Amino acid sequence: MRSVEDIACVFPASLKEALEIQADEKRRGRILAGGTDLMVQWESGLQPAPERVVGILGVPELRGIREEDDAIVVGAATTHWQLHTSALVRQFAPALAASAATVGGVQIQSLGTIAGNVANASPAGDLAPALLVTGGSVVVASVAGERTISLAQFFLGYRKIDLKPEELIVRFVLPKLPYGFREGFTKLGPRAAQAISKVMGAWRGKASAGVVESFAVALGSMAPTAVRLGDLEAWLPGKKINKKLLDEVEAKVTASLKPIDDIRSTAEYRGWVSGRLVRGFLEELAHVCG
Amino acid sequence: MKTVKRTWVVNGESRTVDVPPARRLLDVLRVELKLTGTKEGCGEGECGACTILLNGQPVVSCLMAAGHVPDGSELMTVEGLEKTENGRLLQEAYVEKGAAQCGFCIPGMIMSSYALLTRNPHPDEAEIRTAHAGNLCRCTGYQKIVEAVELAATKWKRA
Repeated sequence: MRSVEDIACVFPASLKEALEIQADEKRRGRILAGGTDLMVQWESGLQPAPERVVGILGVPELRGIREEDDAIVVGAATTHWQLHTSALVRQFAPALAASAATVGGVQIQSLGTIAGNVANASPAGDLAPALLVTGGSVVVASVAGERTISLAQFFLGYRKIDLKPEELIVRFVLPKLPYGFREGFTKLGPRAAQAISKVMGAWRGKASAGVVESFAVALGSMAPTAVRLGDLEAWLPGKKINKKLLDEVEAKVTASLKPIDDIRSTAEYRGWVSGRLVRGFLEELAHVCG
Repeated sequence: MKTVKRTWVVNGESRTVDVPPARRLLDVLRVELKLTGTKEGCGEGECGACTILLNGQPVVSCLMAAGHVPDGSELMTVEGLEKTENGRLLQEAYVEKGAAQCGFCIPGMIMSSYALLTRNPHPDEAEIRTAHAGNLCRCTGYQKIVEAVELAATKWKRA
């Protein structure tokens, strides 16, 4: 089998160069960013090493975090470390900052990237729930131009995303946390650090006088992709957060999900704990919004 | 196989390698550059034994393709510690506290300590533990490592 030593690599220095390579079937390669998923798979033989790789860390257009009027724009090659130490991300997408801080240890956070986490599309991808609750989108590019896709539509299935072979993820556009809104993120795993989650979730919402005004919630490690709980989100506004509501929400969430069974946890545990998790999120919402 | 040439500043010295582009940085350090202080533990990015500093930031060298490390990058391995005043006092703190047991995790562990103290010379215990969460010690000697970092922090010279 081919080892990493045999891979032919190119390291484009601009987005134009990278897109031209990907447009040409004879030169096109597997995109490599931080390597924290792909290098493990190739070195261990879990996945055969590809013939050609395009290393994109040297592409300047994929870097940086900037602020626009209503959104923050995060370059595809932004690392987890950069995400959770960025003042902009901490202010305007705090659940994303919190989730990036739970990825591996510092050494993995310094390599792994936001686009790598999304493109790998593992059900346990740490950033997906926090990205989903922003209601944001992803911008992909090819030589033909750019395409913007809502993140909710970008995850198609288990390790599947809406990306054509000639396309590259360029940046994420994440609507800022609106005034008066709060966010939260919780990850449940076997260890606080360096662990792949059993279940995790993120929320963005607003309450006043204990009544839900708006509540977006997404769970990861539950289904083939991270999921927003759309029915619950539509049902909650206007409801008073009290014990009766919390009991009802917990039961609804547990009953509505069809969790996966895998090496990290069982469907039964995931279903039960998801109800508890969302219940906790609403308690947090009531607590932080008053 | 087409190789790539890269010139880096490794422990303060300019070094050039000509290697298969996806060869692991860990192997380039140990084989090409003969810097065998950096260890391979799991080879999967879990254990942190292969931690080095890339432009001051801790990374697992087992998951890095050497060609992906651009020319001019500054690499620091455990061998580079003795060349800096803070590196020496950190080594002495590890010795004084008996932080090394079998020692295999220490070349990675101490690079995480160095990076932490460089960005935060006065870490509390929780910050020390978080900064070393990606370094596993199978002798489970974490307490003395934390104490060594705390001791080094009392003597750390700010840049």
